[in-house]
Amino acid sequence: MSDELFNREEFISYFRDEAEELLQQIDADLLRLEEFVESGETDPEIVNSLFRALHTVKGSSGMLGFSDVQNLAHKLENLCDLLRKDRMPLSESCVDILFSGRDFLTDLVEVAIGDHEPPKGLDEYGARLDQFVAIYEETSHVIEGRTGPEQTFEEATAVESKSASVADVEAFEAEIARLLAEAELKRAQAPAPPPPAETVVSATMEVAPAPAVVPAAPEAADAKKAATEKAAPKRGSIHQTIRVDIERLDALLNLVGELVINRTRISDIANTLERLMADKSVGASTGIVAPLAKDLADSAALLARTTNEIQESIMKVRMVPIGQVFDRFPRLVRDVAKARGKEVLLNISGAETDLDKTIVDEVGEPLMHLLRNCVDHGIESPDAREASGKPRAGTISLNAYHEGNQIIIEVSDDGGGIDLDKVRARGIKQGLISAEDRLTDRELVELIFTPGFSTAEVISDVSGRGVGMDVVKKNITRLKGIFDVDSVAGQGTRFTIKLPLTLAIIQALLVRVVHELYAIPLDSVIESQRVEMRDVRTVHGNEVITLRGQVVPLLRIAEFFELDGTRDPDKVMIVIVGLQGRQVGLVVDSFEGEQEIVIKPLSDVVGRIAGISGATILGNGSISLIIDVHSLVSEAYVSGRVARAEFSGV
Amino acid sequence: MTMADVKEDRKQQFSGEVVQVVSFRLGSEEYGVDIAQVQEIIRMVEITHVPRAPRFMEGVINLRGQLIPIIDLRTRFGMSRIASTKSTRIVVTEIGTKRVGMVVDSVSEVLNIPIENVEDAPEMIAGVGTEYIQGVGKMNDRLIIMLDLTMVISGEEKQQLDGVETQYAAS
Repeated sequence: MSDELFNREEFISYFRDEAEELLQQIDADLLRLEEFVESGETDPEIVNSLFRALHTVKGSSGMLGFSDVQNLAHKLENLCDLLRKDRMPLSESCVDILFSGRDFLTDLVEVAIGDHEPPKGLDEYGARLDQFVAIYEETSHVIEGRTGPEQTFEEATAVESKSASVADVEAFEAEIARLLAEAELKRAQAPAPPPPAETVVSATMEVAPAPAVVPAAPEAADAKKAATEKAAPKRGSIHQTIRVDIERLDALLNLVGELVINRTRISDIANTLERLMADKSVGASTGIVAPLAKDLADSAALLARTTNEIQESIMKVRMVPIGQVFDRFPRLVRDVAKARGKEVLLNISGAETDLDKTIVDEVGEPLMHLLRNCVDHGIESPDAREASGKPRAGTISLNAYHEGNQIIIEVSDDGGGIDLDKVRARGIKQGLISAEDRLTDRELVELIFTPGFSTAEVISDVSGRGVGMDVVKKNITRLKGIFDVDSVAGQGTRFTIKLPLTLAIIQALLVRVVHELYAIPLDSVIESQRVEMRDVRTVHGNEVITLRGQVVPLLRIAEFFELDGTRDPDKVMIVIVGLQGRQVGLVVDSFEGEQEIVIKPLSDVVGRIAGISGATILGNGSISLIIDVHSLVSEAYVSGRVARAEFSGV
Repeated sequence: MTMADVKEDRKQQFSGEVVQVVSFRLGSEEYGVDIAQVQEIIRMVEITHVPRAPRFMEGVINLRGQLIPIIDLRTRFGMSRIASTKSTRIVVTEIGTKRVGMVVDSVSEVLNIPIENVEDAPEMIAGVGTEYIQGVGKMNDRLIIMLDLTMVISGEEKQQLDGVETQYAAS
């Protein structure tokens, strides 16, 4: 294998993706494993899966020379091996040490592939892990009968007590006693017992650290492949997948767009020909031309169908299950709940719901915020819950499903709900509202989305939510989604996020301004109206109309974009768009109907332009620019192009 | 690195015996771009105007499903604008990962200019700032102004873009 074939960059990128996936799986396995702590029994399937995942991490990192990752993975693997061989009982401290090990592993992976600072406390952790494992490795010698149990235990505790609490030590004592008893029992029960010493020795041999060889690059590729292949089929229900750079998919999508356009042209030609055939005066319907024309029409129809299917398939390729994001939440909820002394059950459903990869990548952060909030502020303490007749453990449900062209993600809890009185008090204190303001419950809830509403004080003082809620809302809005909250005092809170399935295709209203076609995303359009010029008033020289009692400022697109157009003296065509609860009327020249459009970014050579979010290619091959309602309107406000009168006040 | 070094470096890019350039006309001047940077040459098509884009940015075209920004080289070089004619062409270039089309009066031919006939740009040529010029090639009695495309698509445009960003950030 030549140097060219071994592309280190590519391997590192592959390693990162793979490590991310494996760490995710380790997390899931640990969470499942934790459920077995109480019974003390270990599910061999989980431990094996854990072991394999760590083994693969060890192999891949070793291949790339990331020795820190490799060493830690190796140690954790040893620990799992002890569990796997029933030489270590499953205990809470054991799961905890595995969890922290997993976190250090994550940090180390980042250190290895990027220029992150090495994580703090790694050395102490490593020492603790070594001691932890050492105890049980010692224990095996006990069974071997080399030394007396008491003595070994003393040795063990002497080592462990440096870092472990007394409680832990006591737990060890009990565990070791149990282990010994079990070992005795097994020996007694075994029908044809092999010499005990031998068994243990061979087991210990396997545990002994394998020499950490970093193989030379070319062989490593094969070794890694072998390791992956070995691990993959055992992991169970994973589909056969292939990793593809999203840019390649985009390129493919572009080509299909081109195909669609050509398909339209061919259909047009076929139609024209058919019309000519029917027209006797043209005299084309003679001889061999007729069957050819029919063939062309048939082929065009077939081409149309195939092209549509290709386009749909490629859109589907970009879709990934939202479970990719959900997977990391059980761990998050566990950690936050533990830190806050709460008991929380997390129910996840709809993890298989598909949506566009780019949205999946973006939606994780807001969801994390919401879940953290639910645990932190939504779910009450176990005692408080008991006092109000609820089960001690709170329930948080994370649910995803498709509805029409959207995906709905719900995060709900059965906690105390949003305390509106406290929100009001807080709002008044922060000067967001005045004491005289009479707000509806809905408006009060909306307050939590106000930037700055949440402060550190709120977290401790008020049981209401608010940590970064404005950020959550902003992120969702940026993804062209809708964010809603429902709360019933004492019964819980439900957050609903509605997102488009894909950002690449949207429904748009086409409008003509002077002689260019513009597309306005339909999700921000409220209605379109034809208004007589005499109904247009002015406020401070800016045009407004009154729509059902509400004053709506107008924004003339032609003037904003400095296009040379003339104003119609009699009437105006207005597209009312909604923006954060405000309405603005965009003045256009004519409405050209609704259409599904594929968004293409304007090249970076053109740069970012206020009011334009991209462009699309229409069926006839012409280009239509897509209006970015958000930046258009905010830009217009800054430059004072639209009336502000309506918004003086909150 | 001084400006002279940079220029020397650029000259080094033409490391062969001859430089292959696609030559085209703007007014009475003849220009050339490295053939490796030219993707294709197409006839004039309808250009969709992009409002608020940098001044020299004529708009975008649809080239087989791809959006290609179009620069009007006359505007870029401060020459007077003219209506497009039958010989007007768009030279689609590829600079790094960026694709840009340039509107030119007409495309002449592909020239092989011996490397020793390429000279550094004189201080000022036909109102074009020397920063766009990689060198001047001599072919018999013709002078070919060889363009540095990276500079053509950046420079002033960058300032303008920064302006847009600032406006945007303020909103």
